[in-house]
Amino acid sequence: MEKMTRTQVPLLSAYSSPFVLLSALGINILLFNLGVTAGSLRLLMLGAAVPIGFSFGRIIYLRRSHAEILFDDRTFRVHQGSRDVVDGEWSDYSMVSIILDQYGRRSLRLYKSLNGDHVDLPLFKTNAEPQKFRDHVQSLLSRPKTRTLSLQPVEAS
Amino acid sequence: MAPPREAQLLIDDLERSLIRGRARWVADLNEFFRGYRVKDTEFDLYARGRTRNRGFFLSRFFAWTALPDYSVSLFCAYESSGAHLTVEKLRRRMEAVSHTIREDELKWAWLIVLSNRELSPEVVSFVSRYDRNELGLGVASTKSQQMVFSNNQIGRSIGKHLSLRKLLGGLHLGEND
Repeated sequence: MEKMTRTQVPLLSAYSSPFVLLSALGINILLFNLGVTAGSLRLLMLGAAVPIGFSFGRIIYLRRSHAEILFDDRTFRVHQGSRDVVDGEWSDYSMVSIILDQYGRRSLRLYKSLNGDHVDLPLFKTNAEPQKFRDHVQSLLSRPKTRTLSLQPVEAS
Repeated sequence: MAPPREAQLLIDDLERSLIRGRARWVADLNEFFRGYRVKDTEFDLYARGRTRNRGFFLSRFFAWTALPDYSVSLFCAYESSGAHLTVEKLRRRMEAVSHTIREDELKWAWLIVLSNRELSPEVVSFVSRYDRNELGLGVASTKSQQMVFSNNQIGRSIGKHLSLRKLLGGLHLGEND
């Protein structure tokens, strides 16, 4: 399966910044108790708050918000955090469009029928080029649909 | 039939510029289809949206208080088969667009038809005299870069706000590659 994803830096920063501040506060208290109140060692130790805070932020980001779109010629799946939010088969849909939300963010919308049931694949959370991916999906939807035959054993009389 | 590469690039560029909000002074187009069929007529690009734009804080407040909230659409097609673009072919496309206007209760729609031949005098005359309010027509030749727009507000806005001339110029200079 092909995968499209990217790190959403603003979200990662939003998750990480409280931990960076908390780590800096904790290190500061620790240094104060150890009697380190000035000098480059103190700055160096405080600088460690950034990677520590980002590590915690990244764990939460990966568990809650990191999005991946996985697809092959038959199926697709949108994975966000630790769960699948959308999955399906291309053959269930007949039309595809690029849709912009109120903030101008681009998603791919798959319709079962025009103005009917649809699902959105959030392209803005991945590195996908909307027009190219839409054209690829359109070529998958326009392929002739082949029904898989399930052969049932028949008892000889 | 899929349009040739030159037209494909032009339509790609038009769509990209619309996604980036080129039409925002007239309409906020927020959904884009390719190869869209209306009855037996296929359009290479179909975009739909509303006249009230999204914006943020002040512009949203302004839009909410001052702008009407109508549904509108844009259709774009490339005519490459056979001889010149004829009035008959154009009428067929206009009928398909008018059908969508009625079905989807649109206030108005843009129809842009591109041709790889010179525009015939009949087409130029027909388009430049067309003045019904709900349909803005724009016809352009990718060969000669001649453009003609309908004699109504919506038609004139194709040239003014969608910058079709610039897109055709870019195509001619090979900027679209």
